[in-house]
Amino acid sequence: MTLAPARQPEKVSVSEHTEKRSNADTAFQAVVGGCSLLVLIVLGGLVVLMGVGGQDAFKTFGLGFAFRDVWNPVSNEYGAWAPLFGTIISTLIGVLIATPLAFGTAFWLTAIAPPKISAIVGTAVQLLAAVPSIIFGMWGFFTIVPFMARHVQPFMMHHFRHVPGINMLIHGAPFGTGLMTAGLVLAMMIAPFMTAVMRDVFSAMPGMLRESAYGLGATRWDVMWKVVVPWSRSGMIGAIVLGMGRALGETMAVTFVIGNVTAVGWSLFAPRSTVASLIALQFPESPAGSLRLSSLLALGFILMLLSFASLSLARMLRGDSK
Amino acid sequence: MSNMTTLSPGWAPNPCGARRRRKDRVATILGMIAAGILVLVLTSILWTLLARGIVGLSAGALFKPMGPPGSGGGLANAILGSVIQTAMALAMATPLGLGCGIYLSEYGSKQNRFASCVRFVSDVLMSVPSILVGLFVYQVLVAPFGHFSAFAGSVALAILAVPIIVRTTEDMLRLVPVSMREAGAALGATRWRVTLFLCLRSAKTGVLTGILLALARVSGETAPLLFTSLGNQNWSFSLNHPMASLPVTIYQYAGASYDDWVQLAWAGALLVTLGVLAINIAVRFSARRG
Amino acid sequence: MNETKPQVALAVRNLNFYYGQNHALHDISIDFPARKVTAMIGPSGCGKSTLLRIFNRMYDLYPGQRATGEVIFDGRNILETGLDLNILRARIGMVFQKPTPFPMSIYDNIAFGVRLHERLNKADMDVRVQDVLTRVALWNEVRDRLNAPAAGLSGGQQQRLCIARSIATRPEVLLLDEPTSALDPISTARIEELLDELKEEFTIAIVTHNMQQAARCADQVAFFYMGRLIEVDAADRIFTNPKQQQTQDYITGRFG
Repeated sequence: MTLAPARQPEKVSVSEHTEKRSNADTAFQAVVGGCSLLVLIVLGGLVVLMGVGGQDAFKTFGLGFAFRDVWNPVSNEYGAWAPLFGTIISTLIGVLIATPLAFGTAFWLTAIAPPKISAIVGTAVQLLAAVPSIIFGMWGFFTIVPFMARHVQPFMMHHFRHVPGINMLIHGAPFGTGLMTAGLVLAMMIAPFMTAVMRDVFSAMPGMLRESAYGLGATRWDVMWKVVVPWSRSGMIGAIVLGMGRALGETMAVTFVIGNVTAVGWSLFAPRSTVASLIALQFPESPAGSLRLSSLLALGFILMLLSFASLSLARMLRGDSK
Repeated sequence: MSNMTTLSPGWAPNPCGARRRRKDRVATILGMIAAGILVLVLTSILWTLLARGIVGLSAGALFKPMGPPGSGGGLANAILGSVIQTAMALAMATPLGLGCGIYLSEYGSKQNRFASCVRFVSDVLMSVPSILVGLFVYQVLVAPFGHFSAFAGSVALAILAVPIIVRTTEDMLRLVPVSMREAGAALGATRWRVTLFLCLRSAKTGVLTGILLALARVSGETAPLLFTSLGNQNWSFSLNHPMASLPVTIYQYAGASYDDWVQLAWAGALLVTLGVLAINIAVRFSARRG
Repeated sequence: MNETKPQVALAVRNLNFYYGQNHALHDISIDFPARKVTAMIGPSGCGKSTLLRIFNRMYDLYPGQRATGEVIFDGRNILETGLDLNILRARIGMVFQKPTPFPMSIYDNIAFGVRLHERLNKADMDVRVQDVLTRVALWNEVRDRLNAPAAGLSGGQQQRLCIARSIATRPEVLLLDEPTSALDPISTARIEELLDELKEEFTIAIVTHNMQQAARCADQVAFFYMGRLIEVDAADRIFTNPKQQQTQDYITGRFG
């Protein structure tokens, strides 16, 4: 009898305490959940605003805006095809060059190089991946562009001028700027990133699986090509697509070396433009509310869709592997 | 059953093996060349930066503000502007990224639709072209107010930093063993205390790495600043006004036809690159120790 | 089988092995009789797996690991430099603790190793695949799905596939590194039966934690402790009448 009332208040205080605790937990969850909501809103806003901003352009030129081959601020006529073409081709060139580079480097780093050298070269590659894109742009402008103008382009002209098909790809004055140069600089920029991802994918393969392939008498290349590659196929494609996504939206590296002419043509050595470089160059001179600004935002919207599509693809492929 | 061992060719080399060994050698050489190219590119970039940048890297460049061509201007206001905007961006992005990362790892189970949505969005933001972030912030924070501002620039950088912090925070918190959470809970600690004082503390190094990586990524960004903080020829300390930044100044000066500006651009490029690489090396060291 | 003096497949003489600075095997000398099963037992870290991995020079994959001494196989010291490792590994096959099916079809898993060393036409390859799958008693279970991914098989089936893959290159020696440690008792029993048939043709060296397994399968048993070979003897003798105290302690479960 004497014990029971004595315990009563203690019990109450304990439950109150728990109540307070669970309140704190709820508040904590609300705060961190709120952070997540904010992130969600930012991206939502990004997509919506880009679309809304580009509304005027889409209204004026219709959905064909994406494939109109004019960009003329004087006559106030705009179409996305020239920069879009430049973006797609330069990205394609970049990925085509970067993929074998990244694959070869990752193969060498994971299967061949002695650990110490592999660590050093691996660090170098990762540092290269961290170099800001504007530096790649400047480097490209001051080293690759003159090299292309003085050596590559004259060489190509000299040897392939009369070869049908190829002559179409190389004609133009030797400025050194253009899709080929942009693709090359993009390749150097995304290859280290792709290498890092591929290296992670390769070294995620169970050691025992690797050893059983060696145990059958396979060479390092046999193991790589017949066991590691099939094992990590989706991860590798994911790496390539992620690299592609970076190349698609790259602004600074490209702006320096593409020449910035809004024209469409097959020559890889003539000045062109890309979506991102065009936005960077023309946005500052486009007055608010103008059709030109709206067209630039519409371009941004299309770029957003491209980048979104490539990311979804990468994620899908990664999901496959699990 | 036939006795197969008698069929064994012994130590005699077989033609199949010779072909494979040749292939292996070719692949090895090609792989080495690929790695060599990437190392060469890094060397070439660093060499170009050093050769051209070190000349312009004088006391004047470091301590004088920008000026008209030929006036002996420097980069001091751009350097300070970059530091201010990057610091502001991290100050905004770190709590947001930490909160979001904590939510995803602690409450974002596979069944939680909202969490998977946030995770996806964070991934998208990580790979969104940075110039689009600039455009977005322009529409939200510049156009409505009628002027460019350092604040808008910081927000643009913060948007780029957040997904990196979110990703590393979530990954690092997930590495904390369940047993530690259980041990905390068994002591009667509430969930938020366990999360903040046990899990986050034990994942400290990893989370810090994420913040540093975000810093490295953001401090070299140019495109998102072009339409937000714009740039400024003079000293500026107001977040409400345009502010200079190192990358944008590099961009403006590199294409200029004045020799002293181009030289300053190289000096700035050298500074930015050394800064970014130093952060990355620091990250590698802290990651190795952690 | 034949009561004449057994021919020796692998002769190990004064073998020492180092992981960097760590001296892992001390002065091992042991013979592996041809077409017999030799089991290697001992507590974890005693060096038995290390010894196994020397026989196909697997340690070559890892810089810093090195072996001194002699391992004579078919008239050559396999530790010497300049030896063709691809041929050595074709002649000395290995099966691991866990099944390691390659990410390809059942058929290609077998064909993978064969193609490395021989150029066979489709018909010959089919014969080879059927032959080895039959020998590991897997043929009837997989004959209808040879082109299905090997990862779809059960653990026990995968391990038998790995054994089939190893014998498909027609090795003389088969190294088994705790091949049943990841399997259930029924699958384990099937693999043990299989060993009995395979030893008619191959010299088998098996590392095992399981003393009953060693007793059931092995002709000869070697007991290792702390990187040293303590005792090697016929299986029936070592379990009933070990000469060394340490062996006695281990098999009676006093440590390890």
